[in-house]
Amino acid sequence: MKNRLKVLRAERNWSQADLAQKLEVSRQSVNAVETGKFDPSLPLAFKLARLFETTIEEIFSDEA
Amino acid sequence: MFCSANNPASRRYIIRSVISAGLVILFAVFAAVSFHLWHLHGAPAYLVAILPALPILGALVATGIYLKEEKDEFQRNLLVQSLLGGIGGTLALTTIWGYLEDFTKTPRMDLISVYAWFWIFVGVSYGVVRRRYR
Repeated sequence: MKNRLKVLRAERNWSQADLAQKLEVSRQSVNAVETGKFDPSLPLAFKLARLFETTIEEIFSDEA
Repeated sequence: MFCSANNPASRRYIIRSVISAGLVILFAVFAAVSFHLWHLHGAPAYLVAILPALPILGALVATGIYLKEEKDEFQRNLLVQSLLGGIGGTLALTTIWGYLEDFTKTPRMDLISVYAWFWIFVGVSYGVVRRRYR
């Protein structure tokens, strides 16, 4: 699944470690989601959307 | 090995695992000394013989508790995949070894070693799974 996490993170000048801390997950988890290798659960996707003050659809797209 | 000590669930898992490992050694020594000194038989022999296995079961329970307590779904996913690899590898090894024992002169596998093999396969699987997400 494609996502805009890297862009959203860069806009806020957050590192992967910063985002991981805010989400209360490991940096490896953020990296895995960001690189599209791991699809987050719905609760984590909602958490990301709330954190970036946007919608899930604005962060993730189901294009291959 | 499977988790960092960065979060409370990981820390608790590490503590429980270390306690279990310590108890295995303690109980194994106790069982060996007991059988050597008192030549146990009957019910006490069975009880003392089972003693070192109890913390091993405890370590498996600790793994289950960790999976329940770990809030990081990616880390949970890594461990679940590794455990599946461990189960698959152990079943494959013991099945192949069983047939080798039946049809060739391959020596009997010590059943206690199956637990160690399981964790060896879990460790190898963990390395493979981690590489996939790098």
